[in-house]
Amino acid sequence: MPQILQIAAIAVATLGTGAATMTVMNEDIPDLQVPEGAWESAGALDGRTFTVLGTDAESGAVLEDELIFREGTFQSTDCEEYCNFGWSDYQTKDVDGVIHFTATALCPDAPHTVVWYGQIDGDTITFDVTWTTRRWYWTNQMMLEGSGTASDFDAATAVTG
Amino acid sequence: MGSSILRIVILIAVIVLATWGAHEVRDALNLQIRPDNEQQVHRMIMFGAVAYIGLLALPFVPGAEIGIAMLAAFGPAIAPLIYVCTVASMILAYTAGRFLPIAVLQRFLATLRMHRAADLVARAAPLSGDDRVAMLLDGQSARAIQMAVRYRYVALALAVNTPGNSIIGGGGGIMLMAGLSGIFSPLTTIATIALAVSPVPLAVAFFGLRF
Repeated sequence: MPQILQIAAIAVATLGTGAATMTVMNEDIPDLQVPEGAWESAGALDGRTFTVLGTDAESGAVLEDELIFREGTFQSTDCEEYCNFGWSDYQTKDVDGVIHFTATALCPDAPHTVVWYGQIDGDTITFDVTWTTRRWYWTNQMMLEGSGTASDFDAATAVTG
Repeated sequence: MGSSILRIVILIAVIVLATWGAHEVRDALNLQIRPDNEQQVHRMIMFGAVAYIGLLALPFVPGAEIGIAMLAAFGPAIAPLIYVCTVASMILAYTAGRFLPIAVLQRFLATLRMHRAADLVARAAPLSGDDRVAMLLDGQSARAIQMAVRYRYVALALAVNTPGNSIIGGGGGIMLMAGLSGIFSPLTTIATIALAVSPVPLAVAFFGLRF
């Protein structure tokens, strides 16, 4: 066999070993599990904005954020600082007068998936969120929980556009 | 006897110091992976992985410390990458050795004043791989050498895992020599290395070994 083919064969075998290793050893971390239910994309929260504080359960870091709902879509202004997620579709369901919402934001430039699940009762909001980054060599996840209150929609959208 | 104990003590001291140093570096960097630094951490890991593969493949360069530092800094999650990079590095050195002219090995051993080994290589140079094994197993070799050649893949696995093997060239040097010798077939060598370098990453990934 010519040398170049031998080198190619060794490279393929090595890459195969690497790919098999990554497939077996690189365990995925699931996104936030959102409860099943009669989720609807009815824009039930359109025109509402919430100023919130989220806490990273692992590091204790506190993140200030503003959550905006408009035209059936959702945006976290803090997440926009790190990736151009844009506006993501959100869904809601009404449970005994409390509006539950969920949204999944995908980063177009990096393998980040952010899943939101929260409850809005009047002017207060509570939520859980996972920020999961799936690189080819590992999966890293940050879990936050937070709460906040309603804020001025016009002021928030004037900033974000 | 006394000098051997001293060497072992020094080796342990170096390992302890390296471990302590890695922890200090990790603490200093405060390596919490957050959205605002994930991209930089990713680039750092990719750079470290490439440097690790390149340095570990070089003879007499103690590149393994980069892998240990990465394991210390990022924990079990990085173990699969370190494992794959270690295998890639070893096979890179083996491939370089396999396709270098055997005369290079002879000159290299002569430069190190290992004349008997250089003569052995000179005699083995014109032979095929099987004939080289037969020659090495011929009555002139010591029993230990015969055992090492007969069970050469086991010997290879032991050699790359032996602490302090940088004295004889490190993992990169050993694999370069294995390739140059021409008596290690590629697929069996890849399988041997894949098994041989697995204990530390597997211990980190599955048994929670910490540095």
